[in-house]
Amino acid sequence: MNNLSMAYKNLRKNFSFYALYLLSVSLVITVYFAFTSFSMNSVMLEKISGNGRVESMCSVISVFLIAFVVFYMSYSNRFFLRRRTKELGIYALLGYRKSRILSLLISENILIGSGSLIVGLVLGAIMHKGIVYGTTILLNLQVDNEEIPFFNFNAITDTIVFISLVMCVMAISNAYFLFKTSLMDLVRFEKRAEKSMNLKKMPAILGFVQIIVGYGLALDIFRGSDSLWFTIGFYPTGLLTAMSIVMGTVLFIASFLPFAVQKSKQHKKAFYTETKIVTSPIFIYRIRSNAKTLIMLTLLSAATLTISSVMALTLFYPIAAVARMAPSELEFRIEKDGQLNDAKLLVNQYASDDSVTYIQTDIFKVTASAEKLPVEYSTGTSKGDAKNEKILREAGFECISYSQYVSLLQAQGKSDVVNKLSALQDDECILVKYQPNADGSDESGSIYFLNVNNSSIPLTVKATTLNNPISFSNSVGTLIVSDNVYEQIKSGTASECSIISINGKVIEDNEKLFEDMRNLLGNSPYLQGHSHRVNEIMSLNSSTFLLISFLVVLFFIATGSILYFNNISAVSDSKADYEILSKMGYSNRKLKRILRKQVLTFFSIPFLFGLIDCIFATVVYKTGLMQNLLGNTITLYFPTMIAIALTAFIYFTYYLITIHTCYRTVLRH
Amino acid sequence: MSTLLEAKEVTKIYGKAGHPSLSKVSFRVADGEFIGIMGASGSGKTTLLNVLSTIDTPTSGDILINGVNLKTLNHTSAADFRKDNLGFIFQEYFLLDSLTIRENISVPLTLQKLPPKKIEKMVRSLSERFGIASQLDKYPHELSGGQRQRASAARAIVKQPSILFADEPTGALDSSSATELLNALHEANLELHTTILMVTHDAYAASFASRILIFKDGSIIKELIKQDSSRRDFYEAITAEVTRLDTER
Repeated sequence: MNNLSMAYKNLRKNFSFYALYLLSVSLVITVYFAFTSFSMNSVMLEKISGNGRVESMCSVISVFLIAFVVFYMSYSNRFFLRRRTKELGIYALLGYRKSRILSLLISENILIGSGSLIVGLVLGAIMHKGIVYGTTILLNLQVDNEEIPFFNFNAITDTIVFISLVMCVMAISNAYFLFKTSLMDLVRFEKRAEKSMNLKKMPAILGFVQIIVGYGLALDIFRGSDSLWFTIGFYPTGLLTAMSIVMGTVLFIASFLPFAVQKSKQHKKAFYTETKIVTSPIFIYRIRSNAKTLIMLTLLSAATLTISSVMALTLFYPIAAVARMAPSELEFRIEKDGQLNDAKLLVNQYASDDSVTYIQTDIFKVTASAEKLPVEYSTGTSKGDAKNEKILREAGFECISYSQYVSLLQAQGKSDVVNKLSALQDDECILVKYQPNADGSDESGSIYFLNVNNSSIPLTVKATTLNNPISFSNSVGTLIVSDNVYEQIKSGTASECSIISINGKVIEDNEKLFEDMRNLLGNSPYLQGHSHRVNEIMSLNSSTFLLISFLVVLFFIATGSILYFNNISAVSDSKADYEILSKMGYSNRKLKRILRKQVLTFFSIPFLFGLIDCIFATVVYKTGLMQNLLGNTITLYFPTMIAIALTAFIYFTYYLITIHTCYRTVLRH
Repeated sequence: MSTLLEAKEVTKIYGKAGHPSLSKVSFRVADGEFIGIMGASGSGKTTLLNVLSTIDTPTSGDILINGVNLKTLNHTSAADFRKDNLGFIFQEYFLLDSLTIRENISVPLTLQKLPPKKIEKMVRSLSERFGIASQLDKYPHELSGGQRQRASAARAIVKQPSILFADEPTGALDSSSATELLNALHEANLELHTTILMVTHDAYAASFASRILIFKDGSIIKELIKQDSSRRDFYEAITAEVTRLDTER
């Protein structure tokens, strides 16, 4: 019998054992090939990246992808080698030379590798087509699908060469293992008796303290300008926090957890129960040999969850903020006579519909005095805070009337906001905030004295709002006053500018209209479009999002499979233990509970740590690095929650598969 | 003495029409007896142990332990029955590697939901009887084979089972460790009145029993009773019988 047919028979005989290996390697290759095809897809790259940004991101991500694939494949190779060592030892006893055993192993790997490669290439090509299709729909791209081949031959060559190289490295590492291990060790390579673990107090306490310090530092950001993040600096504090959490996680898993479980054994009433007396020692025992894997999975889990959550937030936040940056579907400042009529004519070409509204708002700039004027009053008046502005703004409130405010909100479809409004008295006003004050204070109740017609009109701020009816390109420091006061201002002040807001369902998401409007207005910087802004953000961010998704998906396959293999390996090693427990009188229900507890612990450590790290990192990122245009609303964390829910779902699915296999491995019925 | 275990015409056939591993085996075990089961490989000893201990089910026949017909037990009630009535010792010890010896011996008692103080007291007293009191906080791999088997025996006896099944308990031990274990089992039988059913190849180990059932091809072909004879005489009687059977083969 030659090696190849021996290898083939062995794979067939142990198909269920190798099925998940084959499947997971196939999936890893699928993602790798889809990514490679995408990064070599010049048609798509031309469309989504004008300046080589996506290309350079592709090359960075491909480094991570390669590292992931190498790591995952070598991990699973080592896992299967370990599980088969005794069998290989018996071959050696029967007189097989180590070189022949090695070639048997290589033959098996070639068979699995080729199978996975074929599956991976086909699925990867399908996945690539799916991604192209999804991206063109999402970004509204015009792509000729005929130009994109199903199989990109360069990508195939790249993938085959890469996977072959990985397999060569694996063959070398297998050879090293085989020739280094003596025959005796091969035959007796079973569950090795572990050395007694020295559960030291100091590293355990240090791990716990470091974790707390790390999270404490992260929370410090809420102290605002007094926090270390501002006094020392964002990046040094960030680095310190990350280091503290990473080192803390290492010590927490390797020392604190086993130490705490060991200590918990002293609580006899809790420990001397049918489940705990078995699960606690098993946990300590397993963590000795699996601490490194668990730490690595936890850190990777935290990194991936944080990346995906921050990515989701980065994409979602600007889109959510468009409601403030460009509240109307189209908005511009009248700079020449007749522009309104021209605009109406243009819009009519696209939608001759009565439902389109045109609202002209005359804004009046009024100076004011007060004990403390809001920051919006003087925003953009000096070079320091208006780096991007070509023209400096004059300080003042930009006044609009209450009825204009209500009509604009209604036209923008914000009737829920309108319903909550109550009419303004003549001595009241509503202040539109650019963003909430950092210290959490609010201007409500402040009195501003408007200078109108050489007299002073005192207005009390009834409320502040983030629902600006006009974009910030056209009005900052907007003050909504009663219609009477507005008339009073109008009579004595020259209008600052007139803004046209165009709204209506029929003109939504019409890039062509926006383009024509831009031409009509001679590239006016005051033209703002809601849908246009959303599309712009989508096309800028989604390619990054897509590329990061490759990494995240690959990571999940790798983590889930490693957790699967790790647990199955531990449970198979202790199959005899479950047999004896069954003979002692443990029912299948009780054994299942023990198995569930054991597997759940190993799944929850990376997940929970990842989750907590991700929450803290996202909060720090959001508070420290993002503008606070939308205030603190829970809906902002919606994409983060989706990212977490998806992760939980994937972990849970892997957990169910793992526990199912464990039941099958251990239980007799 | 009352009957603790009764096997009535127990037959076990594996596969469809194979040779029976047990063929209409009937016998009784009285409360407090120490029974040895002997026979060549494949004679049905281990099958008997499996069906008696609810791990396997007979093809036909009845087994009653403490008046309970094992046939009436489903999977869960069989587990409960093992928990309350049966103890096991195996040739390979089968201690749980990740648990200390103290924890290993405590497991059956936690299953019976005894309070921790009582568990600790019982573990201490039994470990002294088996000479492993100083090893309680060690892990199985830190102990010698003999100590491990004594720990395994302590674990089986600690819950005071109605009957203790021992499958070749001395098979992996050197002669002095084997003697220590057999003495401990013998003492437990005499002092704690533990009923023991021990499968063994070894005539020396069998001589610690009070009665021997010799199996061949799935049936009991001979019964040897120690009665008032010394252990040495009984050993010689067993050896003679085993030699006779060997020459008949």
